[in-house]
Formats: sequence, structure tokens, C-alpha cells
Amino acid sequence: MGQMVRYEDDFEADMLEDTGAYYSRKASSWIEDDSCPDYMLKSEECLKKERDRVSHYLHSSSETKLLEKVQHELLVMYANRLLEKEHSGCRALLRDDKLEDLSRMYRLYCKIPRGLDPVANIFKQHITAEGTALVEQAEDAASNQASNAPGVQEQDLISKIIKLHNKYIVYVTRCFQNHTLFHKKVPHELLVMYANRLLEKEHSGCRALLRDDKLEDLSSKYWLYCKIPQGLDPVANIFKQHITAEGTALVEQAEDAASNQASNAPGVQEQVLIRKIIELHDKYMEYVTRCFQNHTLFHKALKEAFEVFCNKTVSGSSSAELLATFCDNILKKGGSEKLSDEAIEETLEKVVKLFAYISDKDLFAEFYRKKLARRLLFDRSANDDHERSILTKLKEQCGGQFTSKMEGMVTDLTLARENQASFEDYLRNNPAAHPGIDLTVTVLTTGFWPSYKSFDLNLPAEMVKCVEVFKGFYETETKHRKLTWIYSLGTCHINGKFEEKTIELIVSTYQAAVLLLFNASDRLSYSEIMAQLNLTHDDLVRLLHSLACAKYKILSKEPNTKTISQSDYFEFNSKFTDKLRRIKIPLPPVDERKKVVEDVDKDRRYAIDAAIVRIMKSRKVLGHQQLVSECVEQLSRMFKPDIKAIKKRMEDLITRDYLERDKDNPNLFRYLA
Amino acid sequence: MHKLGRGHRDKVQQFMTITGASEKIALQALKASDWHLEGAFDVFYNQPHIKSYTDTRYLEELYNRYKDPYTDMILADGITLLCNDLQVDPQDIVMLVLSWHMKAATMCEYSKQEFFIGLQALGIDSLEKFRERISFMRAELKDEQKFREIYNFAFGWAKEKGQKSLALDTAIGMWQLLFAEKQWPLVDHWCQFLQARHNKAISRDTWSQLLEFARTVDPALSNYDAEGAWPYLIDEFVEYLNENGIIQNGEVSD
Repeated sequence: MGQMVRYEDDFEADMLEDTGAYYSRKASSWIEDDSCPDYMLKSEECLKKERDRVSHYLHSSSETKLLEKVQHELLVMYANRLLEKEHSGCRALLRDDKLEDLSRMYRLYCKIPRGLDPVANIFKQHITAEGTALVEQAEDAASNQASNAPGVQEQDLISKIIKLHNKYIVYVTRCFQNHTLFHKKVPHELLVMYANRLLEKEHSGCRALLRDDKLEDLSSKYWLYCKIPQGLDPVANIFKQHITAEGTALVEQAEDAASNQASNAPGVQEQVLIRKIIELHDKYMEYVTRCFQNHTLFHKALKEAFEVFCNKTVSGSSSAELLATFCDNILKKGGSEKLSDEAIEETLEKVVKLFAYISDKDLFAEFYRKKLARRLLFDRSANDDHERSILTKLKEQCGGQFTSKMEGMVTDLTLARENQASFEDYLRNNPAAHPGIDLTVTVLTTGFWPSYKSFDLNLPAEMVKCVEVFKGFYETETKHRKLTWIYSLGTCHINGKFEEKTIELIVSTYQAAVLLLFNASDRLSYSEIMAQLNLTHDDLVRLLHSLACAKYKILSKEPNTKTISQSDYFEFNSKFTDKLRRIKIPLPPVDERKKVVEDVDKDRRYAIDAAIVRIMKSRKVLGHQQLVSECVEQLSRMFKPDIKAIKKRMEDLITRDYLERDKDNPNLFRYLA
Repeated sequence: MHKLGRGHRDKVQQFMTITGASEKIALQALKASDWHLEGAFDVFYNQPHIKSYTDTRYLEELYNRYKDPYTDMILADGITLLCNDLQVDPQDIVMLVLSWHMKAATMCEYSKQEFFIGLQALGIDSLEKFRERISFMRAELKDEQKFREIYNFAFGWAKEKGQKSLALDTAIGMWQLLFAEKQWPLVDHWCQFLQARHNKAISRDTWSQLLEFARTVDPALSNYDAEGAWPYLIDEFVEYLNENGIIQNGEVSD
């Protein structure tokens, strides 16, 4: 307080001023005559001397102020002129590798606030210039050279760039004391920039190598660029873009082919597409292992690329559906793929790998389940082991919950076979109970199987007896279980006694019911059939069409038009015949796609509700953005929820008093217990 | 009254005229506020027990005039009569404000309790006073806080008993009424959008958030946050406005 006032006011202030004036004069003449290194040496000397003076003659409190003054006059005022001196300034020192002088420059300027900025800038510009020169040299040499050694220039260049990098890292450590300002300016960006220029070269760059399948060359590229910090990033990027482009092109091809094609082979193009995508995956996986040494960066690039085009729709079918259909074709008897057991296993493995890239996994599950049901119930499954095998693989990927229903379905069939054996025993032991017709019943556990509508079909008397008998048997086996009969899934073998010969007809239960009506009447109208069987118009039209207007005309229709109308009359076509003794009358299935999509949407709504409630229950209060992002994350294992859908569910939960908005902040939500 | 000074007498007179209260009440209120007229008004309107002193006999009379002959409630006919007496259109928004004061459960009917609560809150015990209070009620709509309360009240009042949501037609009618007061330029577009694209009932959350939207987001949507927690219907409305070129470059065009 009081002690230094006189010293400071009466002496120090003037001393500082005079010192400043003295050095200002000195500096103005030195800057004209001296080179930068000399000037710096002198400055350093001056600073040292002043420091000594303080310790000999002055109070220690003056040291900082004095040195600052000297620095200001010598170094700050003339910073630009000094650094930019043509033949001896910073650039020249760098050019001539004068490490000593550069170290001095650093020491002098590091004490000055922002003093190092111009030095760091010059440093960066210098390196950039040197690097650019190397690249241009290499480009000239390459264009002049014969094209039989194209990679050599590049290799040469990369090693020169790396040398450059190392040289300047030495500067950073020795001269610039590893100061962050200099670290930033050096090379990662520069190297990556040059790497990009080389990679993007039209005929020899990375894209070209990928296009021409030059695995060896790609491998060399890998080894080259992995030495550069973050040098592999652009390579991986190009890899990803290339795969994405190829995959998207395949999808578009399939879309075009499908729309141009005649409608008598629907689904073929889509199946071909899946095959091609599998091949694409195999091909580029090989690249990842052979050229890119299994580096995670390239695994990631592959994954992201596939995720892009594996979620595209082809002629109205989602990729989830396409994949499920593909599996169906492999697993069913007489499917379009005729493969050995081993080949099937291999293909299933690959399918499961593709499945990982699909975002609508729940949609795939539902389609798969529907098709599995048809395979199992209509005895179309080629091989039980394969069925179980793919389920195991899916379970490994997605967890048990994903496959539990499907596994239940397969088990039901096994149990059903055992049950049928018991039923047959029962009939042998109770001959009076026998319905007179061979009957096979498959009992399905409701929760595992897709939901089926059951109709109140008026069964023909013969079948009614069958149902009764089985019910009797079933009640001896189990109590407290309700059987609901799904006739739409049944099959019937009926003997058609035509004039020329008797032919065994394999039809669905519904078709059989229609045909049996003609045992009692010769001729029936549409309305009569409808009244007797109690079916809907849609179903009846489909049925009658399959029997009267399709390939095998078991019934004849009056008038003999190609479609069914409600005023038609039908008769048993006794003149029908075929060279085979047993024919199957197909009943085209109803298009399930719409229903599957609806069911999945419904399940998704429940899943979103559950996720929101779960999150809010544990967090109690949460902002909108966060709630949405946590919700998306939780559900991402099964599907990618639409933000709008999440909002709608949130609003529904508000209406149902699970949540409320905060009174003051409408972006905040509270859980209502 | 004779013992009061002239200034005080005038105040009592004024008080009685404006609030319609009796002399006794006027004196109480003015004394309680140290003969400041403004303060006396506050006292009067904020103290229910003073109001319950308001002659319930007169309220009975009024109630009986409008009540339905067969039920102990005022129903549509009674309300029409009331509106006639007040020289107010039954569709006038002032009836909503009245219902709000009554805390009426549903539109087109008032229970005896609701009628009494409302009239007492407004200090009404005669038709004359009733007519006088109309401009006061209209003025209440200009108060931001009260408007919000009335707006949010309207949802519960206008919807069907037992329903959770408000039928679209009723909602549109209410919005047009309410936003005529508030002057929201997008109200017509909003109603058109709903009829074209939504066609379902309106949830309470959407209802209340719409007011916030009208209050805080400018008609050119320049400060609309698409990532915000707006109900999805409002997000769709914004999309609709953009798609149909109603909002272009931050300008509202017609």
C-alpha cells in the first residue's frame, strides 16, 4: 500500500518510459540493418541484460513491467517486419532448416499474448506449400511416364509426404516445445487432403480399383494409407459409396424388370434380387477380409452401405417381405430353389446376415410366421431340420423372444403328429365312434400362430360327425381347453365320380363343402349355395371361381362366363375328365400383405406405448426430445419408429392420463402415477 | 348515510351503482379499503362471503324465471329466454364467459348451483345488474390470463358428457368464436385443414396447445420449432400450410 508508492510514482514510471524510448530508438535502427536472427539475438541479449540489471540495482517488482516494456518495443512493435523479412524471416528460416533460430523465435514470442499466432500461420503455409509442390511433382511425373508403372509415383509421393510429416513433427517438438498451436497446424488435415486427391483420381483412384475388381491394388492402397493418421477414412468412405451405388442399382434393375414383366411370373424378379444382394455381400465381405485386413472401419462401411439399399421397396413389397418370401422358397417343397442340404444351410446363414441390415425386423417376423404357417399346415415344409436351423440362427441374432412363437409353431406340429397317433388308437378302441371318414386333426396353440378368422361354415353332415368325434376324444385328453375350428386351413380328398372315370380331387374344406352340396341337388343357384353354406360373398366368389372358371372345371356354370355373378347357376360337371387320377384344385390365397402390415402397425403402437411408459416411469420427468430419442433407441432392435407415430402415442397417453405436460414448459412431460 | 361526509357519500353511491351491491355492502367494502374506491372494488370482488350476502331471494326469483318446468335445471328454452332478457345473441361469446363464471359442466344447461355460483361471483341479483355486467364480461376476454382460462374451460364445457374428445364441428365453431376475439390470422386455414385432412374429434391436449401455438408462433411460422413437442396435428397443419403455398418465404399469402 503505502510502501512502494514513492518508488513507483517518482522513479519507476520515469525509468520505464525512458527505457521504452531507448529501445524504441534502438529497434528502429536494428530492424533496418539486421537480419532476423541477428535482431533476435540482440533482443535476447537485451532482455537478459535488463533482467540482470533488475537483480543488481532495482526492486524485484519492476522485473515484469520492465521486461514487458522491452518486449513490446523490440518484438511486438516490429513483429510483422521481423517475421516477414525476405531473406532471413520466418519463412527463410524454415526453408533453410534453421532450428536454433526458430527455437529462439519461439522462446521470444511465446511470452507475448498471441505472439505465436503469426509464427504458427507461417509454419502452416510453409508446410502446405511444400506438400502441394510434392503432389504436383508426382502428378507431372506420372503423366509423363509410361503407364506401366502407375502405382509407383503414388507410392513415392506417399512416402515423401510421410517424410515431410515426420520432419515437421521434429520441428514441433524441438523448436516449438510441442505447443498445441503448432500441433494443430501440422499435417493430419494436410495428409488427408492429399490422400483424397490421390484417391479420387479418375482412372487409378480408389473408385476405379473397386470398379475393376483390382483386389491386389486395393490391398496395397490399404497398406499405404494406414500409415497416415486417419488416412483410411476416405478409403472407407469411397468403399461405402461404391457398394451403396451397386446395391441401389440392383434394386432399381429389379424394380424395372418387375414392372415390365408379364404378370404370370410375379415375384421372380424379387427373388433374383435377393440372390444378387447375397452375392454382392459375399463379394464385398471378401474385400474387407482380403484387402482391408478386417479393419473395423471397413466392416462399418459395408454395414452402413447395406443398410441403405436393403430397406428399399420393390414393386410394392418391402424388403422384409422379400426376404421372408425368399426363405419360404428355400424351405418349402418344390420351391424355386432346388439345392442340396448343405447349400440350403449356407444360404440360410447368408439370409440371416442380410436380415441384420433390415430395419423392419418385426415386419419380417410377421411375414415369416404367416408363410411358416402355410408350410407347416399344408405339409409343404421340405425339411424340419432346416426350419429349426434358421430359427436358431435368428434367435442368435435377435434373442429368444423374436423366435419363440415360431418355435412354438414347429413344436405344435410335432405334438400334433403324436396326438394324431393317439386319436387313431382311440378310434380303433371305439369303433362305434368312427365317423366313417379318415380324419386328421392338427391342434394349434393359439398364441403362437397368426390369427385366423373363423367362420360359421355350415358343414356337410359327414364332416359334422368328424368334428364331434374328435371333440369327444380331445376331452378325454385334456380339460379346460376350448377348440375353435378353422376350416379355411383344412384339406379334403374327395372322389369325384365323373362319367369317364373317378378322379380323386384334393381340395380345401370349403371347396369340399360346396361340392358335397351337389350330392343332394343337381343344380344350385348362387344364392342357394350361399344360404346353405353361410359364407361371405367374397369367399364364395373365390370358391366358385376355382371350381367352375379355372383350369379344372368340376362344376359347370350357367351362363358360361369367365367370372362369377350372383345370378349364376351351377351343376356338377359329369363330363369332366383328366389324364391324371388325382388332381389338386388350387384355391388362390387371399393377399395377406395388407393384413400383415396392419397387424404389425398395431403391434408397433403397443410397443411404442410400452416403451414410452417404461421410460417415463423410471425418469418421472423428461424433455420431449430426449423422450423421443430414448424411445427410438429402445425400439431400434425391432423396427425404426416413425417420429410422428411416437408423437401420436404420446398424445394418446396424455388423453389416457398416463402423462401430462408441465404447466410452465410444454416441452416437458411428467409421468402420472 | 347521513353521518358520512359528502366525499364518502359520493363514493358509496358510485360503488353501489357500479357493483350493484347494497348500501350496507358498499359501506363495508369502502371501510375495509379505507375509502379508496379501487381498493373497495377488489375487496368486493374477492370476498365470497360478502357476496353470499347478496340477496339469495332475488337469485331464487331469477332462477325460477328460467328453470325448466319439469326439472330442477335451466335448459335450452330457459337459456333462450335469458338471452332475450339480456338482449344478447345465444351464440354470443359472452355466454361462454358467463358459463365460465358458473363453472358450468356442459353447454345448454345450468344447474341451480351453477347458476347461483355464477351470479354471485359476478355480483348479480337482478336482471338490470345482469345487463350491466355484460360489458365487464366482454372486457374479461382481453385479459391474457383470463382468456386462457376461458379458452381451456370451453373444451370441457363444449364436449359431450362422457366423451374425452371434442367433436370436430363443435370445436371449429368454438374456435371461430374464440379467435374472433383473439385475432389469430390462421384460424380459417386451421379450420379448413381440419375438415380436409383430419375429420376426427379433437383431444384436450391439441385444444390447449393450439392456443399456445397461436400465442407464441408468429403467423409466418418463422419461429416454429419442428423438433418441438407440438401435437402432431399442429405439425401436420404446418406441413399443410407449406404444401399449399400459404406460407412462402415467411410470408402469409392468401
